[in-house]
Amino acid sequence: MTLGGRLGMVVLMLLLGTWSMSLLMNYDVVLDVDPSRANLGLSVDHWLGTDDSGRDVLKRLIKGTEAFVGPGLLACFVAALIAIPGGAWAGWVGGWKAEAIRFVFTVLASLPRFVLVLLICSIYGTDGSTLGIAAGAAYAPALSEAVYNRVSSFRAAGFVMAAKAHGLRTSRILGWHILWVNGRALIAKNLLQLFSYFLLIETTLSFLGDFGVQEPLPSWGNMISRDALQGGVTGLNLWATLAPILAIWIAILGCTLLAQSLKEADNG
Amino acid sequence: MADAVNQRRPSSWGVLLLVGRPLLSFFATLAGAVFLVSALLYFAPGNAADILAQDETLRVALMEEWGLNQSLFEQYRAFLANAVQGDFGVSLTYRQGTPVSEIIAAKAPATLGLVLGALLLSIVVGTSMAYWSASRANSISRRVIQWASVPPVFLLAYLSMVGLDAWAYNSTVALGEPPPSWFPLLMEASSLKTALAITALALGSSALTEIHGSVEEEIQRIRSSGYVDAAKARGAKLWPHTLSNLLPSITTLVSSRAAFFLGGVIVVEKVFGLHGLGDVLWEACRKRDFPLVLGITLFTATIVCGARLVGDWTRMALDPRLRGSS
Repeated sequence: MTLGGRLGMVVLMLLLGTWSMSLLMNYDVVLDVDPSRANLGLSVDHWLGTDDSGRDVLKRLIKGTEAFVGPGLLACFVAALIAIPGGAWAGWVGGWKAEAIRFVFTVLASLPRFVLVLLICSIYGTDGSTLGIAAGAAYAPALSEAVYNRVSSFRAAGFVMAAKAHGLRTSRILGWHILWVNGRALIAKNLLQLFSYFLLIETTLSFLGDFGVQEPLPSWGNMISRDALQGGVTGLNLWATLAPILAIWIAILGCTLLAQSLKEADNG
Repeated sequence: MADAVNQRRPSSWGVLLLVGRPLLSFFATLAGAVFLVSALLYFAPGNAADILAQDETLRVALMEEWGLNQSLFEQYRAFLANAVQGDFGVSLTYRQGTPVSEIIAAKAPATLGLVLGALLLSIVVGTSMAYWSASRANSISRRVIQWASVPPVFLLAYLSMVGLDAWAYNSTVALGEPPPSWFPLLMEASSLKTALAITALALGSSALTEIHGSVEEEIQRIRSSGYVDAAKARGAKLWPHTLSNLLPSITTLVSSRAAFFLGGVIVVEKVFGLHGLGDVLWEACRKRDFPLVLGITLFTATIVCGARLVGDWTRMALDPRLRGSS
């Protein structure tokens, strides 16, 4: 694994660790409000300072992972559930059946992903699970196309012929020989990209308001926008704004580096 | 050899088939997209009549008038029949009574300008950087692009807005005015903001990295192929060969990026306060103005499918191998 891949792995582990810490942490988003300690700088009590309501920035940063890690994993699950069987079956049978399945995914992909997610959010509400399902469905065409290309390129390969001649079941050839042995890095790369895409979408929606995570619940997106809405430039609280920005930057960079390393592993 | 070439040239029926197949799939995909969106809207837990109407009789009357109580297939058929005639219904809550097509026509040019600008900028910059870095194994430029391109579009847009505001604030202070205690965000549209919006759109959410990466891969593949070696051996210039083989994959890239930028433009318009189609779509989604939402999503789907159609045709024109198969 490359250096970038290792860095990405560390970031991902940190993210998952922070998320599980947040699930264990007993943090009340309302009780933490204390105007008397608003906009404090870095200190031993508050490692990343406090925001304009006197809430601890670090605690909110940790709590903010709940907005995207769980739903992001749900999005990966939904995309895998729709796209892997669909793409693999289409690649295996070929012909008009494959064209029919690919047409369904083409229709899904004819709307830009963000538009589709926004549409679903405006219709069915903006809680995390809806957002996760929407993002998973929006990303499914890309994953299914990747799986389709991979499977159809191996359909007539020598080892597949040999496995067929040995009398192995189709599910075994497809699931083990093609998808697991020759496609797991590709699938992992795509799911990782979906995860980082979900982080992007969730923070974007929460930043813009209206949809996404609403105050007082924290998200890395709405932590940034707090200052944009209120103080303007003069009221900018440096650490409360910079911390979520850096967190988003590092998290997505980590996912990108790891995805790149997985792609190199996939190329052999 | 000449025979082989002649055999591959399609008959006039073949040409019709080649041109017609992408066209057919264009219309089929659009019809599918309309069905997808109307099905999503049909199963919505609430509609515009619920929001506007205070009492039950008015709600029922509104449902009747807007055709919201018809079945999914009836609504779908009615919408398609009207859409073919250029009638996409009227806005319910965003701007009550205004035809959807009028709103789209008024707002589309600004938005499409942003998308086209971002496409042009990202493709030109991505391709020229890839051309330069493809022969360098560990180029620093690749890393710089990746790090700068990672932040989401909204973050880049927000940071440049803050930068603009800080600059305006500092110049106010430099003029000798007393520093205001509260400084508003600059919300008027300006050409500087448009330029920043295009840059944020072209760079952010890894757009530039992905374009750079796939063009670079393609260039490396072309450079290691036989015809480039042959061109080298006879002392010909290399770039015409590289470029002509690169163009088909760039058209694919353009059509896939168009969809991506159409999504990103919503964010950019919201953050910079540029009033375009993305801004309208956001408001329409917020106010559950479903005819307008349907109209705008259909409009974006038309552009996405249209870009794919033009891309298919361009590839056929550029690549004789695609023409010869039938």
